Amino acid sequence: MSAATETLYAQRLKRYVTAMRNEKPDRVPIRPFVAELTAKYAGYTIQEVTQDYQKAFAAARKCAADFDWDAVVGNMVYGWAGLVQAIGLRYYASPGVELPPDTPFQYLEPPEDEAWMRPDEYDALAEDPTGYLLSVWLPRVSADVSPLGQPTSLRNNLSFLKGGMAMLQYFQGFGTQAERLRSESGTVSAISGILKAPLDILADKLRGYKGLCADLFRQPEKVLAACAALAPHLLEVAAGGADPQKNVPIGLWMHRGCVPFLSPPQFEKFYWPTLRWIVEGLWARGHQTLFYAEGDWTASLQYFAELPERAIVFHVDRSDIFEAHRTLGEKFCISGGVPNDLLAFGTPEDVRACCKKIIDGVARQGGYIMDASAIMQDDTNIENLRAMTDFTREYGVY
Amino acid sequence: MPEQDTRRRPPGVCIPWEEKRKEMPAIRGDEQLVERVWKDIDGLAYMYIWQVLLSF
Repeated sequence: MSAATETLYAQRLKRYVTAMRNEKPDRVPIRPFVAELTAKYAGYTIQEVTQDYQKAFAAARKCAADFDWDAVVGNMVYGWAGLVQAIGLRYYASPGVELPPDTPFQYLEPPEDEAWMRPDEYDALAEDPTGYLLSVWLPRVSADVSPLGQPTSLRNNLSFLKGGMAMLQYFQGFGTQAERLRSESGTVSAISGILKAPLDILADKLRGYKGLCADLFRQPEKVLAACAALAPHLLEVAAGGADPQKNVPIGLWMHRGCVPFLSPPQFEKFYWPTLRWIVEGLWARGHQTLFYAEGDWTASLQYFAELPERAIVFHVDRSDIFEAHRTLGEKFCISGGVPNDLLAFGTPEDVRACCKKIIDGVARQGGYIMDASAIMQDDTNIENLRAMTDFTREYGVY
Repeated sequence: MPEQDTRRRPPGVCIPWEEKRKEMPAIRGDEQLVERVWKDIDGLAYMYIWQVLLSF
C-alpha cells in the first residue's frame, strides 16, 4: 500500500469513528449503504453480483474508489445466492433463477399453516434454541437436509459439506475485501458483525409475521420466553463478528418492530427489552451497534434515548430525522435521511437542497454521517448519488 | 430480561465438552488441549447454524 493511500485511510477512519462517537470530525463522513446500485454502476447484472460474490466485491471496490467515499460495506448484496443454493434454503428467491436477472433477491414467507416454526413449538425453541435450529428448523427450511429420524441422503450430507465450506470461503472473502478496500482506495469497511432483534428473528425466519402477530395475542408469555432465550445467542453471534479494534459498529438490521408492524405498547413489551439487553451487553464489551432502523421509528425514539451515551449510531430511514436528532442527538450519532425516492426520481438540485437541510439541521455539532435513507438498490440515479457525495464534500466541512 | 440461558446448550456450543468427554477414553496427554480444540471447532458449527438464521 502506498503511503498516500495509508494516510488517506487513516484520515477516513478517524473521520468516520469521530462522527460515530458523536464528536465533530474535520468534515461530514460519507458512508453510503450501496447494494444493487454497485452492479448498475460497475456494469454487472443483479444476478451476477448476487450469484458471484467476487463480482459483488469488485463492484463495491469500484464504487468506493470512483466516488471517494469514506466507508462502505464490503458487499451490501449480502445474501450470497451460491451459499443459499448449497444449503438448499427454501425461503430465498434468487435473481436469474426464481426471479428476473435484474430483480434483487427476495425472502419468501410461507403460508401461516406452513410456517418454519409451528405455533406449539415455542417451548422447544426456548428450552434449547441451538438444538431446535439444528434438529427442527434447518430440515424444514432446507430442501436437502433430512429431518431427524428420517433416512439420510447424499444431498443431506453434501448440504453440510458445501454449506460449511462455502460459508468459510465467503466470510474469509470479507477479510480480503477489507484489506483491498484499504490498500487500493483507502476506504474503511463500515461495519463488522451482524445482529437482529429477537422478535425480528421470530417474525423473519421462524413464525412469519402473520403467525407472530397472532402469537402476540394468543400466547404472549411464550413469545417473551422465546425472545429471552434467543437473546444470549444473538449477543454471542454479534460479539463474535465484531471489530476486534472496536472502531466500527455491529450492524443491527431492524425490520418489523416499528409502527405499523407493532403498536408502541407491543414494541415496549415484546421488542425492546431483549434488544436493549443485547445492545447494552455489546456496549459493555466496547462495541457500538448501528441501528439500521428500516421504516419509521419515530414512536420509539424515547426508548433508544435510554441507552448509554455513544452505545449506538442511529440510521434514519423513514423516521423524522430532525425529531431523531432532537431526541437522540445529544447522546448518539445520526446517519442517513436522504430519501431514496429523491435519489431515484429527483434532480441533482433537489438532492443538494436536501443534503443542505440535513447538514444544517443535524450535523452542526458533528455526530452525523451522510447516507441515503434505505439501502440503495438499482433505482438510485447515479448523477444524484454523485450530487449527494460532491455536495457533502464541499458543504460538510467544519 | 434473559435470566435463563439455554440449559442444554449455552451460547457458542453445539455439543458440550462435558458430554463429549464422557464418550472418550482416558486422555493420556494434555486434556486441556483436547478440550480447547474441541470447543473451538464446535464453535464453528454453532456459528454456522446461527449465521444461516441471521445472514442468509
